[in-house]
Amino acid sequence: MSHDHDHTAPPADIELRVKALESLLTEKGLIDPSALDELVDTYENRIGPRNGALVVAKAWADPEYKKRLLEDGTAAIAELGYSGVQGEDMVVVENTPTIHNMTVCTLCSCYPWPTLGLPPVWYKSAPYRSKVVIDPRGVLAEFGVSVPDSKEVRVWDSSAELRYLVLPERPAGTEGWSEEKLADLVTRDSMIGTGFPKSPSEIQ
Amino acid sequence: MNGVHDLGGMHGLGPIAPPAQEPVFAHEWERRAFAMFVPLFGAGCFNVDEFRHAIERMTPTHYLEGSYYEHWLHAFETLLVEKGYMGPNELDDYIAKFKEKM
Amino acid sequence: MPLVTKDLVPVIVKTGASARIAEDVAPSFNVGDKVRAKNINPLTHTRLPRYVRGKVGTVVLDHGVFVTPDTVAHGQGEHPQHVYNVAFGGDELWGGGASSKDKVYIDLWDDYLEKVEA
Repeated sequence: MSHDHDHTAPPADIELRVKALESLLTEKGLIDPSALDELVDTYENRIGPRNGALVVAKAWADPEYKKRLLEDGTAAIAELGYSGVQGEDMVVVENTPTIHNMTVCTLCSCYPWPTLGLPPVWYKSAPYRSKVVIDPRGVLAEFGVSVPDSKEVRVWDSSAELRYLVLPERPAGTEGWSEEKLADLVTRDSMIGTGFPKSPSEIQ
Repeated sequence: MNGVHDLGGMHGLGPIAPPAQEPVFAHEWERRAFAMFVPLFGAGCFNVDEFRHAIERMTPTHYLEGSYYEHWLHAFETLLVEKGYMGPNELDDYIAKFKEKM
Repeated sequence: MPLVTKDLVPVIVKTGASARIAEDVAPSFNVGDKVRAKNINPLTHTRLPRYVRGKVGTVVLDHGVFVTPDTVAHGQGEHPQHVYNVAFGGDELWGGGASSKDKVYIDLWDDYLEKVEA
């Protein structure tokens, strides 16, 4: 079996290999292709960072919810209907004027699927995983953002079975906004900690 | 094991280069490879720790050069053979027959 | 074990498979304890990354009891034990040139840690 596969253009043999494996395992009665279809549809079309954005928006709008979210992330996230695979045990960490949080899994690519969907390629790749623990501010610079030296940067290496979601700071000028509208400000990267929410002017 | 997967603190692995937009899956085979995990786990073929360890045992060059779902494909093949769900050459033989039919 | 059919997918997706386990196991450490990550180099599976081995940090959270990947990966049982979040200063991990202000918070199993006497 050839191991010199290209990173960006998978050769035809991988496509064929996956197709053959699916067919062989179906014949063996180990998998059902219609279940695979359902899983693809779930994670490609139905579960994504909008879920996490709604969690963040509710925490911004509802102080009681925010308290529950920081005390027991799993239960508070489940209140909005998000739970399950790769989000079984959740911890939410709050950005403040003095603390900026970032998440990574240095050993593989653990990521909170129910709230953020499947991770982007860069999150799973060697450059991010190697660098963020030793040079978090350098990583932020690669994303075109920075935090002041006065802030503490906390990098959460979620290489055990807890999954982390960053609760970013609520942008100024959003007083009285609905949760739906607040959620439009919340980017995926702001919940990983490699970015910030949009400013009100960016969506109006 | 002190494997290549244990990346924290390494230097020189290149720029992160996050794209502005990217699809959830880049290729159809990635969809199918992704979707095999839950059913094989559910069927009791392996647990998540065995799965991660199978990825860690990849040769370092293959690990670093191979894309994410290639790691998964490698782990499926490794564990299905090790646990006796398929023979060591069964997939290759099946592919050979598959090609004849195509 | 059952074949995962299309009908089962939504249930599995929503439920998942938590590694948390309802076993009454005493913790070896308390929040606030100074701990050293053990310098171990097993040939087998572990979730103790090299960059924290031998380093001293502080326990900030006790997440409760979880199964242990080091044994589960090798068919050697669940070995339930506490998992803690431990904070390590940048200077402890990377030496004097690194900022002590920036920290890495990492979840580590009880077996990975030893107490550092104050």
